[in-house]
Amino acid sequence: MEKMTYKEKFIQMNKEAKATWIVAGIIIVYWFASGFGVYELMPEATIFSMPAWFVLSCFGSWILSIVLVIFLVKKVFKNFDLDDEEEEM
Amino acid sequence: MDNFLMLAPVFVFFIALLGMGFYVQKTSADAKAKNFSKEYFIGGRSLGGFVLAMTLVATYSSVSSFLSGPGVAWQKGFGWVYYASTQVVAAFIVLGVLGKKMAVIGRKTDSVTVVDVIRKRYGSELLANFSAVVIIVFFTTTMLGQFIGGAQIFSAATGLSYEMGLLFFAIVVVLYTTVGGFNAVAITDTACAVVMVIGMVCLGYAIISKGGGIANIMSVINETSAAAVETGEGFNMISPYAESAGVDTIPMPLYITQWMLCGVTTLGLPQSNVRCLSYKNTQSVHKAMIYGTIVVGAMMVGMHMLGVLSRGVLLSIPEGASTDTVVPSLVTGYMHPLLAGLTIIGPLAATMSTISSLLIAGSSAIVKDIYIHRKEARNEEINQKFVGKISLLCTAFMGTVSVIMAITPPDIIVWINMFAFGGLQTAFFWTLVFGFFWKKANATGALIGSVGGLAFYCVTMAIGFKISTFHNILIGIGTGLILFVIGTYIGKPSEEKVLRMFFPEKY
Repeated sequence: MEKMTYKEKFIQMNKEAKATWIVAGIIIVYWFASGFGVYELMPEATIFSMPAWFVLSCFGSWILSIVLVIFLVKKVFKNFDLDDEEEEM
Repeated sequence: MDNFLMLAPVFVFFIALLGMGFYVQKTSADAKAKNFSKEYFIGGRSLGGFVLAMTLVATYSSVSSFLSGPGVAWQKGFGWVYYASTQVVAAFIVLGVLGKKMAVIGRKTDSVTVVDVIRKRYGSELLANFSAVVIIVFFTTTMLGQFIGGAQIFSAATGLSYEMGLLFFAIVVVLYTTVGGFNAVAITDTACAVVMVIGMVCLGYAIISKGGGIANIMSVINETSAAAVETGEGFNMISPYAESAGVDTIPMPLYITQWMLCGVTTLGLPQSNVRCLSYKNTQSVHKAMIYGTIVVGAMMVGMHMLGVLSRGVLLSIPEGASTDTVVPSLVTGYMHPLLAGLTIIGPLAATMSTISSLLIAGSSAIVKDIYIHRKEARNEEINQKFVGKISLLCTAFMGTVSVIMAITPPDIIVWINMFAFGGLQTAFFWTLVFGFFWKKANATGALIGSVGGLAFYCVTMAIGFKISTFHNILIGIGTGLILFVIGTYIGKPSEEKVLRMFFPEKY
């Protein structure tokens, strides 16, 4: 838990929101590339007998999302008190 | 006997849900005496990470994720799974972007509903009342749609009549929501999410073992698909475009707008973002982002993929039958009755968890946003006991009305329901995103943006106007954005006192 002023919390929250959008953007780009991209290049390829584009895009985006969200939470997001302590002082 | 075996797990589950509702009602009595609406509508801001994640995901995944979606996947193939997989971002975007700001502002302004927050930010009665009405109308119609879907699954799987099915599970969900309030909704949602996953695993096991393994199933699908391409009847199941007779049935523009409708702009859904007001601390929201992403992805990709794989077991459905019947006929046709009962709880749970959340949030729009707000505006004292009574009454009333309408659904409601999901997003997306992240945003902009966006969305949907093959959410969100910006430059800025609270970093 970090001690932050009301203002600092908002600076931090803006950073977190921006990072969340960036992560969403990366996932969208990966999703297009691994789905349509792989289908254009190798429409016949398979993984576990299923179409490769499907496995890479659907399972891939899911796993990528989990990894990136864990990164967000551990590296970008910070713990602080959601109540405003300053007011009581 | 089979029928009994199948109904047994369902009834055990129903009784457990009711038990949770009544238990919560008992344990939260003290907190309710102090501030009824805070406890009843958002559970006293006490949710931990796991429950927050599960209630968010369970509310979001509805009857379509468990029934209609996999049914279409059975028909169209892997393209439909790809189409549904855009939802992997739905859990973390709303929590990551709005989660903490709503929690901090909610605490500072003592807000209990999304409309509370909007009223505080923009200071406009008109905007707040419009938002409350949008919530009430769309939530009621969505609930109705869920009731219809749930009753259909129940009767298809058990052989009971539609009305009996409706009555059974409607009474359960309305009762536990009414007595237990938001905490009961959150806990039962968690139970529902867990059984949805269990149901999915059971179904997956049944399909793959009946089909003789994935490789076997895939060879059936490849043959079916090759035959479809050759004859022009049916769909190319192994292409993302799901071509039928040479025409893309899931064209690229539809995929792009799917990223809005079922991905990014879902952060505007009030039933999702109200959850940002209900959790305990930053640790909870961090955990919920991870758990939520794991579960929503597993469920959306998993269920739709099972829909495709089930083609290896169930080659065709009766002529004229809807693809919605695929999942129920798999469950009843290929599973041991006891296991079938356990599996059928999955889609029922998806329905019930969506209804309960809409019910409690819809009721809060009437009680908190309209009734209590009027009292406060007139400086009248608020009797917590009386608020308690009307809240329960209001929840029960909304639930009962939807159930009665679901017996013979009026066409107009079914029709409005088509606009509900996108309509809610159009009405709230910019109001919330700009409200929290753009200091200049003001009441004029928010009002024109959400009213105009919603109007454009609904009218273009109704008359069937389309830009290429894009979904009309693009029109709704697009015009909403333009009108919002224009309105903001015409209107007066919000009060400085408010801006200092929402944008302290700019001072």
